[in-house]
Amino acid sequence: MSHAHELSLGIIDSASPPVFQTPTKCIHQPDDVSRFLASAAYRDIGLFILQLNHAVCPRQPAGSSTPTTFPLGSKSTRTASIRSCQTLLFSIRDLIDKAPPDPGSQRFGNVSFRKWFELLKEELGDLLDDGLLGQTLRIGNGHAKDEVASYLLGSFGSSQRLDYGTGHELNFLAFLGCLWKLGHFKDGIQGGDIERELVLLVIQPYLEIVRQLITTYTLEPAGSHGVWGLDDHSFIPYIFGSAQLTRPISSELEPMPTDGSVRGAPKPSDVTNPSIVESMRHVNMYFSAVAFINDVKKGPFWEHSPMLFDISGIKDGWGKINKGMIKMFNAEVLSKFPVIQHFPFGSLFSWDENRQPLEQGRRRQVASSHVPLS
Amino acid sequence: MSDLDKAIAQLRSCRPIPEDQVRELCHRARELLIEEGNVVTVTAPVTICGDIHGQFHDLMELFRVGGDVPDTNYLFMGDFVDRGFYSLESFLLLLCLKVRYPDRMTLIRGNHESRQITTVYGFYDECLRKYGSANVWRYCCDVFDYLALGAIVLGASSTLSPGSPEDDDTEIEVCDQGGSIISRFPRQPRPSSSQDKLDAPSKGTPDKTGPPGSGASGSSSGSVGNPTGAILCVHGGLSPLVDTVDKIRLIDRKQEVPHEGAMCDLLWSDPDEIDGWGLSPRGAGFLFGADIVKVFNHRNDLSLIARAHQLVMEGFKEMFDASIVTVWSAPNYCYRCGNVAAVLELTEDESGTGIFQRTNGDVGRSSGGVVESRGGPKHGPARRYRVFQAAPQDSRGMPAKKPVADYFL
Repeated sequence: MSHAHELSLGIIDSASPPVFQTPTKCIHQPDDVSRFLASAAYRDIGLFILQLNHAVCPRQPAGSSTPTTFPLGSKSTRTASIRSCQTLLFSIRDLIDKAPPDPGSQRFGNVSFRKWFELLKEELGDLLDDGLLGQTLRIGNGHAKDEVASYLLGSFGSSQRLDYGTGHELNFLAFLGCLWKLGHFKDGIQGGDIERELVLLVIQPYLEIVRQLITTYTLEPAGSHGVWGLDDHSFIPYIFGSAQLTRPISSELEPMPTDGSVRGAPKPSDVTNPSIVESMRHVNMYFSAVAFINDVKKGPFWEHSPMLFDISGIKDGWGKINKGMIKMFNAEVLSKFPVIQHFPFGSLFSWDENRQPLEQGRRRQVASSHVPLS
Repeated sequence: MSDLDKAIAQLRSCRPIPEDQVRELCHRARELLIEEGNVVTVTAPVTICGDIHGQFHDLMELFRVGGDVPDTNYLFMGDFVDRGFYSLESFLLLLCLKVRYPDRMTLIRGNHESRQITTVYGFYDECLRKYGSANVWRYCCDVFDYLALGAIVLGASSTLSPGSPEDDDTEIEVCDQGGSIISRFPRQPRPSSSQDKLDAPSKGTPDKTGPPGSGASGSSSGSVGNPTGAILCVHGGLSPLVDTVDKIRLIDRKQEVPHEGAMCDLLWSDPDEIDGWGLSPRGAGFLFGADIVKVFNHRNDLSLIARAHQLVMEGFKEMFDASIVTVWSAPNYCYRCGNVAAVLELTEDESGTGIFQRTNGDVGRSSGGVVESRGGPKHGPARRYRVFQAAPQDSRGMPAKKPVADYFL
């Protein structure tokens, strides 16, 4: 019998840590992508996303007719590991004040982003030495820090190209995945609570900082599919945001529903209604992402975001959208050479072949969430 | 009304034409393009346009601002497709106009006119969505392989209105979309020391009238004059493998854009504030500095390089003492960049041999080197930039939602 919490990323034994290394690129040509799809890193990224996704799905408490939902809201938490990540993120955000955009910039991307990025590089070491994070990263005589830092540094766009995309977003997930593997989040209740806090109290603030970077430094939509992609910059808010609105599960063992919406959820078609989007932007991650599109884009929604427009016509609820988003993330982010070629591999997200085939129970779980993981 | 005119009318109203008509159109376009050299010769007057990226309504705005085809002679420097919602309608309309008015419409290839790039950046997805199969995408890609790599503009005037002497000293004029002049820049007065030398050719028969770009010393008579030095138009920029325009003519262009080499560089490179050549952050092509442009223009008898490929907020950007200009024709790019767009008008030189100016001015040529720091004189053609904003959007109706991608079934 499988348990939902078995669907989670493993934590390393701190007594015998792996040999930490500075992550390096291993995907050099399109053919290498299939090798990546057979790697331990790919398995771990998939597991981590599914684990977080499952956590924000609404719950139906026994003996109650009112489902429990997990909206965005207050950022305060008593969990020290979550607070350490928030402190890190807010320090990173505050660097924006020290690198105001260059008023004379003629290209679209503002060159002051390079100054911001330099500041981040300079301060990153100290930021990661701080408090609880510092304790976690002292594993392996401090070499863990170098490995983990490289994913964090890769999470905020390219200072050279002055752009930001889903590959950078993936680096942030890997950064959190590294901390997870190092046991940083052991102070929370695993199997739901701590994962929820990660999504709502760390990933959402990260996305908000990224949006601030995008608007402050007008980071280019380079590498985007234009109107034919889901979004110019982001993907994960659509995964976790649709999960927040999916039909509730009544036990932690229940797999992620693949259709239906929680009672009281906005309709998928509300995505095309700007005033509903605005009213939901501080409640739900999907609507928060659409609201940002409405902030920065001028023109008919169906024209600049035809994919989101079409998805808003789905009749089978947010569970169906969530299932589709995960399949799409797998195909359009993890399996696309132009995106995944930049992802670096180390000891925690390893290029090694996946030698831990999912056991029967997990395999069933994964299969029922329709994610081609192997 | 011919079938072609019907297709043009249908595309102008932003409705795609049926698949079999696309096939026929692409076939005819290929037969036409195969006859063109890698570097097409275009005679002024001409209106030079940059990236379009499927912004159909803005392309219509461009035609409103720049004049309709065939009244205006157009040169589009590539990147018709990808990113926008209407790559298909935009490219097919331009292609129809090319077939209908071959001498009034020049299309050269951008880095997005490629199978590999269009499968990543949207055009492939768009064709699939609008036709349910990839056939139309395939027909279009076959046309891409035949597009010219560059163009040389001859006979551009050094004044904007040859008939009105009061405008004689205007080198650059910037107009808004209503045609009102926003700003005007007079030609810088020349230092008297070099004036005689620079003007010398105008007193007699020019000693070089061969096809610009060929570097050939033409015989005295007959060929089209080159009063201001020719203008090279190319999508991206220069290549370390190309030191003369003739080298471009030697490329075997009828292929998918390669990952490296001269053809790749011409479509991918960018000018930058560096010395010499640099690696491009794009992963294809190179960065090149002012020195590279000056040497190239001098050697090839060019007064200006016009290129596209990079978003510029003001629609156009002259660099390196006006030896190269970026023209960008997709306003509010990707619905969010807030930039204006521009087209570059070059007027026709009507004064016969005209005042004979070149970028190299023949000064220093005898010594075999480029004379730097000549200071004030600008030898380029007179340039009128028409700047325009995104087309109004209130008139576009909302379509029915289409079936979603397979992921969501």
